[in-house]
Amino acid sequence: MSNTLNSCKHLLDYKLRYGNKGFNLIQKWVKNGPYGKAHMLKSKSEVPKCDLCCGYDGRLYICLICSAMSCCVSNDDTDNHAFLHMKSNIGHEIGVDVERCELYCFGCNDQVYDLDFDKAVMCELGNVNLDGVRSSGNKRKRLNFDIGMCSDFKNFKRVVGLGGSGDWDHGRRISKSCFPIGLRGLNNLGNTCFMNSVLQALLHAPPFRNYFLSGRHDRDSCRKTSGDRFCLSCDIDVIFNAVFSGDRAPYSPAQFLYSWWRLSENLASYEQQDAHEFFMSVLDRIHEKEGKTRNTKKDNGDCHCVVHRAFSGLLRSDVTCTICGFTSTTYDPCVDISLDFNTNIDHRSPNKPQKSTETGHISTLTSCLDVFTRPEKLGSDQKLYCQNCEERQESVKQMSIRRLPLVLCLHVKRFEHSLVRKASRKIDRHLQFPFSLDMTPYVSSSIVRKRFGNRIFAFEGDESENSTNFEVFAVITHSGMLESGHYITYLRINEQWYKCDDAWVTEVDDEVVRASQIYLVFYVQKPSSGHKSSEDVGCHLRSSPSGDSFVSIAGCC
Amino acid sequence: MSAAPVENNSSDHTQLASYFFDELIDSMIMDVASESHRIARLGLDRNLDDEEEELRLSAQARARVADPSHSEANSKYVVDIFGQTHPPVASEIFDCMNCGRSIVAGRFAPHLEKCMGKGRKARVKSTRSSTAAAAQNR
Repeated sequence: MSNTLNSCKHLLDYKLRYGNKGFNLIQKWVKNGPYGKAHMLKSKSEVPKCDLCCGYDGRLYICLICSAMSCCVSNDDTDNHAFLHMKSNIGHEIGVDVERCELYCFGCNDQVYDLDFDKAVMCELGNVNLDGVRSSGNKRKRLNFDIGMCSDFKNFKRVVGLGGSGDWDHGRRISKSCFPIGLRGLNNLGNTCFMNSVLQALLHAPPFRNYFLSGRHDRDSCRKTSGDRFCLSCDIDVIFNAVFSGDRAPYSPAQFLYSWWRLSENLASYEQQDAHEFFMSVLDRIHEKEGKTRNTKKDNGDCHCVVHRAFSGLLRSDVTCTICGFTSTTYDPCVDISLDFNTNIDHRSPNKPQKSTETGHISTLTSCLDVFTRPEKLGSDQKLYCQNCEERQESVKQMSIRRLPLVLCLHVKRFEHSLVRKASRKIDRHLQFPFSLDMTPYVSSSIVRKRFGNRIFAFEGDESENSTNFEVFAVITHSGMLESGHYITYLRINEQWYKCDDAWVTEVDDEVVRASQIYLVFYVQKPSSGHKSSEDVGCHLRSSPSGDSFVSIAGCC
Repeated sequence: MSAAPVENNSSDHTQLASYFFDELIDSMIMDVASESHRIARLGLDRNLDDEEEELRLSAQARARVADPSHSEANSKYVVDIFGQTHPPVASEIFDCMNCGRSIVAGRFAPHLEKCMGKGRKARVKSTRSSTAAAAQNR
């Protein structure tokens, strides 16, 4: 949010002379309206009218200094009684728009903004759940999250070079002799592309990768301490070692498949699985194991296992009573966000002319996020209990992200299961997605602030520990039919995209990835210092607040 | 906007209705203007230029990739980036960790399914030890 409000000199002068007195004076007239729209109500019995002409037309303004009410019907000076009020009373330039509780300067003829005014308005909106943490009785202590994985790097046993040496041309490697470490094909073991695609993404999720490559999961002690025969963390540790070993022949993740089947009885079969379901199940198994090993029964929100440290975020759900405005807030942890495929067409294809029959509209990932965080009016058959009214009322529900994870996995719900038709179908539509994603509009502070007319107020979690800027590093696409499709993963390493199609790893251009049908997209938080990841050239130690330190070595193969 | 007439006949009713309607529209327009103005002034608007650029790149990419002559998207694999080729069915051979038999990688999953007794066509794999134990327990 910009700090410069461009307050006009009239407002500045006013503040110097009167401070907040005027705001406090009119505070008592501020009333809350539906959907957080504040308005002014001077008298409960009288209809607001202009002091000068006794008219009800146009917009009405209350003078900040003398509380006179004046109307503004048109830009014609004679019809702008608020302007006339200012002319005849020196210094009375600032008024408050009665319908909107916004400051208007008649000297500059523009709407102006002031932090103290907004605060004064917010205070009057009463019964408003501003505090992001305290809510209707749900447990909520301040959640402190250690997101830095810096400490892991003290244990970093192997130096990993992520940039290859080789010839450079316009910042892109042209020599084919050296490739990023960790790039290795995975053999398809029989309809297991769903597994291979997810493994490729996990292998390159920075916190996950760093954890295993630092040797944080000790297979020996794991075998000794736990009685389980199967441990997905051990198996994935083996895969990390194999894939980052420098050996380029495709690897067969057979043990992993076997362990997963043994641990997930209900999903074990030769049929093609859903990659997202598989991903969730793997994360679950790894988390479970960690919980057993550490002998702690922590709920998902506080868990410090590698899965939760990498992927766990916190979703906020606000349910507002449409009758009294009381909002009840709950928080739920999540390891990914599933987005309904937004079939509402809202973007015009920029290259096509705007014809009425034109259907060149594009669906975008950000519009799916817009829909996810949009206030949703729940049906009259879904009335929820309101603590204030003490009965079930029609409500509006709104989701937002209270805490962003380090690695953000967005799942596009392409597979529609219709209970009516008892059939499933795949939505083949293309979904545009950005390489750089700013999550600011979807975080709780932005959503709640927007709900109250974007008033300037400090919201808990504003100066957040986490950056809201994300960069894509892996994309899993699905092509083909529902039952017989194929998954592949595109990986982005040092701004070069690689296509991982089971055993085949090839280089592809940006446009191939942009044009693909995305199913799961993985973003990682960009360091908030603004340090942009750049091509690694030669040897240097690079560190960032998120703890991503690398020492690149020449001849990494 | 003049003051509403007070006569009581139907054309004036229409005029009155029209007057109120116009007031409502004006108010709504002002709402949108005020909200947008606030968003713009406080710097809350998303970077529309970046978004436009992303959409343009996306459209361009789709057009290029759809072109049948596009090399990368539609070609069959010849060699991977390491210069290797791979058969359609993975040919690596390793031992099944369930039964110990040597299995071809590309057929491991269907084998494992039967071997573990899962799936529709599976039978539990009987070994000499299991039938002997079963015989003993009778």
